[in-house]
Amino acid sequence: MKLADGLSNDMPADPASERKEAVRTLLPVLLAVLPFGLVYGAVAVQEGLSVTEAMGFSGAIFAGASQLAALQLMGIGAPVWSVLLTVFALNFRHVLYSASLSRHLGAFSRRQKALAFFLLVDPLFGASEVRAARTRLTPTFYLTYGVLMYSGWQLATLTGATFGNLIEDPEAFGLDFVLPVYFLGLVMSFRGRGSFYPVAGTSLLVSVVVYWLAGPPWHVSFGGLAGIAVAAIIGPPKAEPLDGREPVREEAP
Amino acid sequence: MNGEPLLSDGAWSVASIWFVILAGGLLTYLTRAGGHLLISLFGTIPPRASAALDAVPAAVMTAIVAPVLVSGDWAERVAIVVCLILSFRLPLIVVVVIGTAMVAGARALGL
Repeated sequence: MKLADGLSNDMPADPASERKEAVRTLLPVLLAVLPFGLVYGAVAVQEGLSVTEAMGFSGAIFAGASQLAALQLMGIGAPVWSVLLTVFALNFRHVLYSASLSRHLGAFSRRQKALAFFLLVDPLFGASEVRAARTRLTPTFYLTYGVLMYSGWQLATLTGATFGNLIEDPEAFGLDFVLPVYFLGLVMSFRGRGSFYPVAGTSLLVSVVVYWLAGPPWHVSFGGLAGIAVAAIIGPPKAEPLDGREPVREEAP
Repeated sequence: MNGEPLLSDGAWSVASIWFVILAGGLLTYLTRAGGHLLISLFGTIPPRASAALDAVPAAVMTAIVAPVLVSGDWAERVAIVVCLILSFRLPLIVVVVIGTAMVAGARALGL
């Protein structure tokens, strides 16, 4: 295989199988994300955006919750700065993702990193962390997953905006439940890590309380930060970690 | 959302909508690259910070799931606990299928 994927020479991973893995990992997630994109597109047009503007949001921001929040705020005539502040705050959790992911990007070129961050959505973060804990995270895996997810989101937005409410009730099929279960499964794959139970327990509690007090998606940032703080207090494990994670090699870009 | 085309009443011009799209996109990119930029600025990562970063996936993803326990209906709450137990044994995709089928089934039965 001599594909120009920017893979470093010392890497045995075969691009074709990396791509296949990415698609396999992505499929169940798409099942949940695409209806959400359809709904977003339909709502955006109902609220008075043109199809192009609805696509603009999906293309530039690529984050469903904050796109819907922006729609709602614009709908009630909120000032521009408050819409932007909301978008920034709702997307703040990505700072945590990119900080953690940062350590697994050794095989990525500068340009690939820049693209990788643009595509960094919640399920991609989860899938990459699970992948990085098992084997080396390759640009092929990450970018295949990310680009397909991005294309799917644009297509779903376009379809929703063009044809209106295609999916009357995605909840009847339990589609709104796919992502929570998916994330639950991803979380459980990290249970071998030293401070897993105190970390997850704290995040669970704080997330529930914040969700109750302030509503979504604040629970993600605050619940996440609380668990991370517990891990920082506990500190590094004294023995070798049990999860068989390979040491991360830092490479100069 | 009440279906009224609120945005077309002149409160939001086309230019200001596109400003929100572009500035919102830029701010979102900032959050997505921000963690990496901070880590790069600090250079080496002290062990305690590294332990904290190791906990990010478990902490954040737990926080994403947790509200199902309080905001979901009973079918969802039961399903998420069942899936938690199943995930000790079964592969991820199987758990996702079982969980979704449980919730869809309960809703079809009107539970």
